[in-house]
Amino acid sequence: MRRISVLVLMMISAYASVSAQELYVFTEPASNMPTKSIGVRITNEGMFNYPGYVSRTIPEVMIGFNKNLMMHAQAFLSDMDGKYRLEGGSLYAKYRFLSLDEAHSHFRASAFGRVSASRRPTYTRDINLEGDNSGVQGGLIFTQLLHKLALSSTLGYAHAFENSNRQIAGMPQPKNMLSYSLSSGYLVLPIVYKDYKQPNFNMYLELLGKTDPSSGHSYLDIAPAVQVILNSTTRIDFGYRFQAAGNMDNRYTKNMYLLRAEFNFFNVLK
Amino acid sequence: MKAIKIFSIIILFFAVNVSAQQISTADLQVTGLTCSMCSNATQKSLETLGFISSVKPDLNKNIFVLTFKKDANVNLDLVRKKVQDAGFSVGGLTANFNFNDVKVDDKGQAVVNGNVYRFVNVKGKTLSGTIKASVVDKDFISGSAFRKQAATANSDAYVSGTGVVNGKKTRIYHLVLS
Repeated sequence: MRRISVLVLMMISAYASVSAQELYVFTEPASNMPTKSIGVRITNEGMFNYPGYVSRTIPEVMIGFNKNLMMHAQAFLSDMDGKYRLEGGSLYAKYRFLSLDEAHSHFRASAFGRVSASRRPTYTRDINLEGDNSGVQGGLIFTQLLHKLALSSTLGYAHAFENSNRQIAGMPQPKNMLSYSLSSGYLVLPIVYKDYKQPNFNMYLELLGKTDPSSGHSYLDIAPAVQVILNSTTRIDFGYRFQAAGNMDNRYTKNMYLLRAEFNFFNVLK
Repeated sequence: MKAIKIFSIIILFFAVNVSAQQISTADLQVTGLTCSMCSNATQKSLETLGFISSVKPDLNKNIFVLTFKKDANVNLDLVRKKVQDAGFSVGGLTANFNFNDVKVDDKGQAVVNGNVYRFVNVKGKTLSGTIKASVVDKDFISGSAFRKQAATANSDAYVSGTGVVNGKKTRIYHLVLS
């Protein structure tokens, strides 16, 4: 009994020392990167049962044009169709249209758009504009920071371009896809800040879902992730997405790990 | 010769004193910061301002202590803009103003070197020495605090932050003496 109460006390104190964090690993927050800054990312995604091991590398450049508008440019390379090759690219833009900032909370909303190209063949209804399909996507992001908790929700709608040349005969054709997510993040360390050199340690839990409106097929992933921020400029992410439920055949990004390094250069643009 | 030297030194002393800086330091509270990377981005953004000589952060309280260059023309709106550029908001700004016989009129207004201030809680008084005051204009305090202040403010320039002074549209900072 005593042991339990000690444990409960420890958990309460651990919770009290935790702060909110919104630098999500699998999704984007409604907040933007700083004006006139450049971020460079290199991401590695991998699946062990494709049936074998396959991986994708995504170099990415991010630019903050002003306090409301930012853009990402990505390239996709993978060995999912045999030899490792460049398979496509994507442009992503995010515009923040609402910020309600208070001392210990904020609510922000952004709209985003994406256009992607990929030369991969299509063999599933699933649409993944980060490497697997050519298409466009638009959506909204809402992020709420409330004391110790940072919650973010993304709603998106994607349309895949027709791909008759690379469509595998007899396979379903992708058309449209609804995507939705709910993300939460916590700052675990440091409990007390001393300086910018101190590493930050963050933990995330995200729910990532997709539904094909024409067939009704869906899936929902649970994606935990850890993050380390070094020197207040470099970010290292590691996460894994598990399929919790789903009935979409041959879906992309199933049971996939993600490893990423991000480097930020503040005020480098004139 | 020596007398001239001493005289010129005295003159120089007064000249420096007359054009002495108005604002020496400020405590800047920034809201929405969740990580040291956010604070770092804000710090780097603030450091691009030419009139700031140093930015000292308190990472736990999200306060930046700004020290301004001597004789520099400090623009508080630019400080606010740099915080917003980094993606965050100003939650409060309390500055040390160096006043030398500054007359605050019956409306609470004072003009110092072309800068117009309106005091919310001072009227018909002369201020001298280092005066600690907080800026309570829009985007210098939280949105809810601004709405509360706007409901009771007796300055016609409060909501817009600008007003007509000597026939010219001018930026008016609203201050609360602490």
